[in-house]
Amino acid sequence: MSEVVRKYIPLLITFIVGVIAVLDFYTTVPAIRGTFTVLKNWGIVVTAFALGVGAVNLFKVHGKRIAERGELWPLSGWLLFMLIVFVVVGLSTGKFDASWQYKWIYNAIMLPLGATMYSSLCFYMAIGAYKALRIRNIDSLFLFLTAIFVVLGNTPMFPAAFPGFFYAREWIFKTIISGAYRGIRIGVGIGAVVLGIRTILGLERGYLGRA
Amino acid sequence: MSAWEKLAALPREIVLTIVLIAMIVPAIRPFGLPIMVGKMSKDWYNTVDSLPEGSIVLFDIGFGSGGYPTLGPCAVAALHQMFEKHLKIVIMATALEGSMMYPLIMEKVKPEKNYGAEYGKDYVFLGYIAGEQTAMAAVLGDIHTAVKEDYYGTPIEQIPLLQEITGPESFALVAYLTTSGGIAEGWVYQAYSRYKLPVVGGFLSMMTPSLKPYYDAGALKGILDGIKGAADMEYMTRHPGDAMRATDILSATQTIVLIFIVIGNISYWGSRLSKREGEK
Repeated sequence: MSEVVRKYIPLLITFIVGVIAVLDFYTTVPAIRGTFTVLKNWGIVVTAFALGVGAVNLFKVHGKRIAERGELWPLSGWLLFMLIVFVVVGLSTGKFDASWQYKWIYNAIMLPLGATMYSSLCFYMAIGAYKALRIRNIDSLFLFLTAIFVVLGNTPMFPAAFPGFFYAREWIFKTIISGAYRGIRIGVGIGAVVLGIRTILGLERGYLGRA
Repeated sequence: MSAWEKLAALPREIVLTIVLIAMIVPAIRPFGLPIMVGKMSKDWYNTVDSLPEGSIVLFDIGFGSGGYPTLGPCAVAALHQMFEKHLKIVIMATALEGSMMYPLIMEKVKPEKNYGAEYGKDYVFLGYIAGEQTAMAAVLGDIHTAVKEDYYGTPIEQIPLLQEITGPESFALVAYLTTSGGIAEGWVYQAYSRYKLPVVGGFLSMMTPSLKPYYDAGALKGILDGIKGAADMEYMTRHPGDAMRATDILSATQTIVLIFIVIGNISYWGSRLSKREGEK
């Protein structure tokens, strides 16, 4: 593939789209607004299409692992099997949520599994709090006190009995945490602006891969 | 190994079993412990409450099965309030699994039965729209070109509610619930920063600290902070459900965690002091 196709055309597209996006934000010219609306709608289609590409990629990666009998290959087989089951059931048993079969396999498999993944964090946090939140020095004392007041303020029954815990947590959130996060956000914001300008100007080319 | 050291190094199986018991007992037999409604939840409630009847709300389901135990009850309670206020709701999903969350939520809200709402006239579901911030920008910018049909395949020209939307100013409020940091910030950027629309958001509790600066700055009018926020909403809307039941579990579990933190410190300092005395 020539350098023009791999490098210069994507850079030109990025430049044009980026400039239109910026102009749309700062101006009210109907032609720019209309063009950007079309671009946004293309964005939706391209992202949706990327989901299909993702599925193809899953088949490629896990198909290879199965063929080579790589590590944990039966799990790869199971993944592809379930992918096929969901697609076949979804496409063949009726439209959208009218399909009780699709709803059933989703509610019986995906829902409990997804919920379990998040819920299991609770156990890690419990064991982590027990093992790590120990006052070893002055820094850990501050961490300990902050954690205690936040947990006390977050546990529904404590603020209900002693509203002071709620206000202590609020103070920590509003003063200490928000202050720190505001600084981070402003830094990230400035970084994003710089990155945006560099990307539009073609100075940032990481998204082009090895081009 | 001294008694202090043993206490400082309790096997994780014991700690986790006790935490599990603290979860199971209130789940089987709720204690009915009191709750205090938080300010962020009150602000969400008051923001929705202040909207005139018939206002259009854009409601985003930005979570899937992982977030459902926490944000599902938030969505149910929030929609109860909106339907009770006779608001018109355009529901969309920026999360891939959001379309599967919609029937689970609506089976509990039952807008037709409970509020006499009519699909297409009082509420509509657009389904999953890919692209996160691109989808938000497209829907707010020009919903008629961004979406051709609703989730059930009805062309949007045939949906009366969507005919009322002429631009971003048609939305009186943007409300969203999400487990994704990108979606959480995206709505602030696309709805508040771009169009100055009032925005309320609901997240997992662990996300709240990073998003609270937006609330403090007024970009978010209200926040539903995890399962506690959902319980607050259920309490305020007088629709007790899964979240209020879960607050007992939350109280019991977090109390146990607090006790373990205290045990960990007492045993740590006990073993340290006893070692020091032994050295003397």
